[in-house]
Amino acid sequence: MNDRWGREQILGLAPDASSAKAAGGVAKPAKWRGAGCDSHSVWGECQGSGKSTYQACVDLSEPAFRCSCPSRKFPCKHALGLLLLWSEGAVDAAARPQWVAEWLDQRRQRAAKAEERRTATAARAPDPRTAERRAQRVDDGVAELARWLRDQVGQGLARAEQAPYRVWDDAARRLVDAQAPGLAAQVKSLSALRHGDGWPERLLEEYALLALLARAYRRRADLPEPLRATVRSRIGFTVPQEEVLRGERVRDEWYVAGSRDLAQDQITTRRAWLRGIRTGRSALVLSFAAPGRPLDASLVVGTAFDAELAFYPGAQPLRALVAERHGPVSAAPRGTTVGGLLQEYADALARDPWLDRWPAVLEGVRLATPRQTPVRADTLHAVDEHGDALPLHFSPSNESRHDPWRLLAVSGGGSFTLCGEWSPRGLRPLSAWHEQEGVVVL
Amino acid sequence: MSTWTEHVSAALLGTRRRSVPALPPLTVPPLEGVPDAGTSGPGMAESRTDADGLRAGDGPGGAAGSGRAGVVGAGEAAPEADPAWVLLEQAAVLAVRRRAGRRAGTAGGYAVIAPAPGETTPMVPPAAARRLARILSGDQLRLLPEWLDAAAGRGLRVPPGLLPDLLERGRADRSLRPSIVRAAGRRGVWLALRNTDWAYLVSEGSDPGDDDPEVWQTGTRNQRVAYLTRLRGHDPAAARRTLRETWAGEPAPDRAAFLATLEHGLSPADEPFLEEALGDRAKDVRRLAADLLARLPGSAYAHRMAERARTCLWPQERTVRGRRQTWIVVEPPHAHDEEMARDGIPFHPAGSFAPGGRSGSPVGTRAGWLREILARTPLETWTDLLGRPPMEVVCLPVTNADREPPGRTAAIGRREDRPAGAPGAGGSSSVWADAGDEQSARDVHVGWIRAAVRQRDAQWARALLRGGVVPADEAEALADLLEVLPPAERDSAAADLVRWLDGSPELLRLLDRMPGPWAGRLADAVIELLAAAALDEGGGRGGRHGRMLAPLCRLADARLAPDTAPRLDEVARRHGDLWPLRELTDTLRFRHEMLQELT
Repeated sequence: MNDRWGREQILGLAPDASSAKAAGGVAKPAKWRGAGCDSHSVWGECQGSGKSTYQACVDLSEPAFRCSCPSRKFPCKHALGLLLLWSEGAVDAAARPQWVAEWLDQRRQRAAKAEERRTATAARAPDPRTAERRAQRVDDGVAELARWLRDQVGQGLARAEQAPYRVWDDAARRLVDAQAPGLAAQVKSLSALRHGDGWPERLLEEYALLALLARAYRRRADLPEPLRATVRSRIGFTVPQEEVLRGERVRDEWYVAGSRDLAQDQITTRRAWLRGIRTGRSALVLSFAAPGRPLDASLVVGTAFDAELAFYPGAQPLRALVAERHGPVSAAPRGTTVGGLLQEYADALARDPWLDRWPAVLEGVRLATPRQTPVRADTLHAVDEHGDALPLHFSPSNESRHDPWRLLAVSGGGSFTLCGEWSPRGLRPLSAWHEQEGVVVL
Repeated sequence: MSTWTEHVSAALLGTRRRSVPALPPLTVPPLEGVPDAGTSGPGMAESRTDADGLRAGDGPGGAAGSGRAGVVGAGEAAPEADPAWVLLEQAAVLAVRRRAGRRAGTAGGYAVIAPAPGETTPMVPPAAARRLARILSGDQLRLLPEWLDAAAGRGLRVPPGLLPDLLERGRADRSLRPSIVRAAGRRGVWLALRNTDWAYLVSEGSDPGDDDPEVWQTGTRNQRVAYLTRLRGHDPAAARRTLRETWAGEPAPDRAAFLATLEHGLSPADEPFLEEALGDRAKDVRRLAADLLARLPGSAYAHRMAERARTCLWPQERTVRGRRQTWIVVEPPHAHDEEMARDGIPFHPAGSFAPGGRSGSPVGTRAGWLREILARTPLETWTDLLGRPPMEVVCLPVTNADREPPGRTAAIGRREDRPAGAPGAGGSSSVWADAGDEQSARDVHVGWIRAAVRQRDAQWARALLRGGVVPADEAEALADLLEVLPPAERDSAAADLVRWLDGSPELLRLLDRMPGPWAGRLADAVIELLAAAALDEGGGRGGRHGRMLAPLCRLADARLAPDTAPRLDEVARRHGDLWPLRELTDTLRFRHEMLQELT
């Protein structure tokens, strides 16, 4: 069976690094009894430490996990270890035992019930009064945000440096009450901006863009439809998936350029950046999970797949859903130059001025440092064949301290394709593709 | 001051104290290649700015070029009149303009990193690379040296993407460095040249240099050693001359490293130089010179040592319990002198006052001197003196001269003399085989073992091992002796030792000292041992192998030949499910797959 998942993909499901390591320890045939698999599930009994035996089972369609161990990690090391064994081909096809069949049946029943409930709610026409009430609340919230912003700038930003977090947290909380979660999240993240060099500039930029958003929302009736959709989504109105799937669809071979996880407020967001090989279009697929829960690991960085993506509506469509997957393809990423990237981003900003991240796929770049400077994480630049250079900003976290060196090692001073996330703060490398060495995920 | 910074400083102080700076009109030519700029709304056609989208936000009220005029909407009870709001709206225009107008740096200010030299060896297959990544992430990390050596042995190198993690491991663990150096390829050195943390890779020199005499002048220590070793291979005299030229100016660790190369092609011609080195300032150099001289038969040094040794050891014919045979009488030196010091015998010999040191009880200073002398005495001295082959020499009984009755007349070459009136002559063995004699026998045998190891004498090593005279608690010495044997003999000799030491606490120490892979008869012996230990452990009986299973498995898992896994499965099945055995078979399987992937 070659449709078994790869090791990296499975370890990508691990809630943290120590689980991934522990899973490696459990993935030994001697520890398992009665392990088997069929087209939808994998199961087995693992000998734990001591006398206890744990029953682990994985439903491959979601994936969903179950294990009788007391671990609060999810998925636990047993489920991951079982998957690793399965991916190595050490688990053979077998008939489903009773307990596995029961669990899968329960899941199916639950899913059916949930589906029923959902169609029932969908069938019920949304109460126009509910929508009206929300619109009123958001209007009030936006007006209050505008007042708050005026107040901040009126008093002067200099106060912000010493101000308590409460200033932003309270404003954010009022926006949550006003049912404008998008605005709330942006305001909450502002308190982190008032440190480091040039913080007044960054803070003013963000305040100004928020003011612009508040203004745009108030004038939404005058905006063209796509821009109105952009504004609404930034405020925090969601679009149901069904509606997205009915919207614009693009079929292409999508290269997964990079992925970043961001933990914030009891939720982890995974941003997977895609780049169409034929169309050159950029797409962003988001997935969310509570901390300790697995994130969607189906988009493996450095691989490409043929699929139809459905884009969320907006003036600069970027966020998308994978509507239909047609299977993996092996293809090299197709990128642009440094100038091309900056132009792309400027064009995108012209359509959506609040856009603050854009996928970068730079082809034929080499690594460089400013003259007379040794190689360090903070001196590395990417230079393309036209001689345009961009500084690279690597993740400061400890586990990624070798990222600059891995990039250097793989490039060997030669040219390669660099994928990353471009933002007004700079280019964060996420992966690289080298003709001989293949893919490096950072 | 730019318009933007004016805005920033006004915002910093607050619009209640500062007036809002003016925003000059934005006149930017229409953007190329923005196909759907039209969505930006009706107001946009005449005022394309860098921030089209932003102006769209202002809607139809936006007037060309002015952030302020547009925002005062008609009829609203406008917060827009507030200077703070004006500042925010103007800042939004500028912010988007700044973001969209970001320029790349020009290459002139940057130095592109020079390309790495081309590789001469192929990369490991993908499966092996994946496994290395697993090992480096901490799974079976102990097997890293084996992976590296196996890859280097097959002429393969590590994939570049894994080099940083690998070099970092070598930074923390020195013992890994030689293996890393061999497997890292040229890319490894290239990378290490750019990171001072990994500089060890450069100084350990994966690049052995070449035969260019320039290397001797400019190379790293390792390159120079390699150069000298090669030169010794085909022209020992030239190598010696080369070394002598710079000898005085080399630092002590380098002198020791260079002197060691004389081992290759050692001949009497090297003697004068080595004699000189005996007077060196550095202790390591003096010791090395003494060891090398001891290996030169017929050297003045060997003569001096043999002379000394013969005053300490001599044969004597005795009849004990009615059996007449040759005994070796031992009289350790009574004093230490300048001459001995110069010939490399330390005043405080190793182990002479380390209570309970590695080799059992502390050795007296005199016994320590004796051991040091014997270790440096050419072994032919004894075959010549006693007129027997090594096998017979090692089996001779040993007695201590100090224990002898006062009236002894024994002296060198006076074999026929018998201690007159000695109580032992009558047949009581108690006098001859008391603790003092045992200690003397031990000193003699330990001295010979060291000599056999230093002089790499396989015949003597074989004799010492087969004769069964090596004290069991000298496990390290036993393991060293095994190394002297020709490779073909090692496994079975080691297997005999393992069986001989079965049940002794020294067994684990011996095994710990024996490098892998354990194959053939040695593997058989270890598996027998594991089965016995599993039996004792599984049965819950103490047994003499009780508590041995876990440490034994830990020693075996990195060294036992991986193809023994099925036989161990058999053992595990017979004795129930014991976790150390299970771990062992898992590791063996891991190693088996690992080595398969590298072929």
